[in-house]
Amino acid sequence: MKKLLFAIAFAFFALTGYQAFAQEPELSPERKQAIDSLALEKVRDLSKYVKLIGSKNTPWSEANRVIDRAEELFAPDAEIGVSSLSKTKVEYYKVRQYLERLMRLNYDRVEIDWYKIQYVSDLQRQPDGTYVGVITIFQTFKGYDAEGRLVYQDTTKKDITVYVKRKETQIGGRLIGFWDVLLGDMRVKETAH
Amino acid sequence: MNKLIKIIVPVVLLALCLKVDAQFIGNVGDVQMDERELYTMTKQMGQFIHRFNYEEDQYGKRLYPGDKDFRSTAKRKDVLPLLFDLNNQRTGGTLRDFFIEDLTKNNQYMEFLGGEWYSEVSAKFIWKGKAVDISMIMALEKEGLGSKWVISNVFFSEFQKYFPHGEMAEREKHFLHPMSHELDFMNIYKVFNDPQIIEYYASTDYLPDYLTLFFYEIKQGNLKFDHVENVKFHVFQIDNWYFEVSWFNRRGYNAGWLISNLVYLKDNEKEALLKIYQPKK
Repeated sequence: MKKLLFAIAFAFFALTGYQAFAQEPELSPERKQAIDSLALEKVRDLSKYVKLIGSKNTPWSEANRVIDRAEELFAPDAEIGVSSLSKTKVEYYKVRQYLERLMRLNYDRVEIDWYKIQYVSDLQRQPDGTYVGVITIFQTFKGYDAEGRLVYQDTTKKDITVYVKRKETQIGGRLIGFWDVLLGDMRVKETAH
Repeated sequence: MNKLIKIIVPVVLLALCLKVDAQFIGNVGDVQMDERELYTMTKQMGQFIHRFNYEEDQYGKRLYPGDKDFRSTAKRKDVLPLLFDLNNQRTGGTLRDFFIEDLTKNNQYMEFLGGEWYSEVSAKFIWKGKAVDISMIMALEKEGLGSKWVISNVFFSEFQKYFPHGEMAEREKHFLHPMSHELDFMNIYKVFNDPQIIEYYASTDYLPDYLTLFFYEIKQGNLKFDHVENVKFHVFQIDNWYFEVSWFNRRGYNAGWLISNLVYLKDNEKEALLKIYQPKK
């Protein structure tokens, strides 16, 4: 239901927003907030997928399907750069590689939770006109052994690139503009928390 | 001590009275956790700019032109001290107070595309088989429909060693006299006698172009990128001031992107420094 409402709101926004945007090179605060919502929806999807992929209760085949869905959220060449407090050198992973590593982690039980705090940057235009922003979110990870003991935990800051592009499609002979949101590179940094 | 209390009290009050949901359109998280420290953390450089300008209120809500508190001077005065690394003596005390006074009295703000702010990316490279530290200075440049970060200069001690600032008396001994042309420059071989001081024969205004050397070494295969060690920012946008912003990955209510160095700098001194950060401007 929530998804349906979101889709209706998105379609309404796309239909009403296009004409104004065509004459308006910079984003108004209202339009920016609407795009932020779209971008956050993608990030929210990603966070759900990460929880499912990491969970030991998710069957292997299902986890693989979720990885496919998660991969679709990202631009094809997106990379994940990971560093920790002890290992500050950034390790680079392709999105699929990163998620598969998460699926194969050697714990009996894992808990992945997301803080309610997040920060959405301004959208800046890159030379080709595509808007680019960064959404920062925080995750806690806990890994337990067979005896139920907590053997590893961390809190990571995830800075996720968001690309926002204005696109057009024809519906019933009418040209409709819409915002296409895609996730890009993600920087994962362990925090001192 | 009083000054310390003046700073710490607002930080703690801010953290305790948070109503963080005002910041968001929706939340990613679904579990109740203590988020006060993460809220007060200045999470992105963009957030630093918004807090610096008071374009984000104490609840984290973004303020836009037309909003009642947008760039509110009184509220900005309360927030600015929280953007300093409170463990650092160099950025505390009277100097900080003068800075804040200047900012608020003269309504000076930081602008993302306002120029005169740089990122310093400290990285490890492999140069002729050994690990070396090189700092790349990055500047924002407008292009096409938007902007991009470009490398404006590099600092690499091995390059600098090649161009030492020689004594003026020594430099003055090395020149080609003004009638050399009449002799078909038969004396030009002297330029090449001592390669270590060849630049003495260049114009008095000559400055080595380290960026070109850097690109050349990369193209030659002598220099290979390994990894980024650290990132910080140098801001020259505020009249008569320079400050540095660094990342503080630590617990507490004073973390994230914070001012790590502050210098009172007259504008003519600033110009000389800017030439180092962005020689070709």
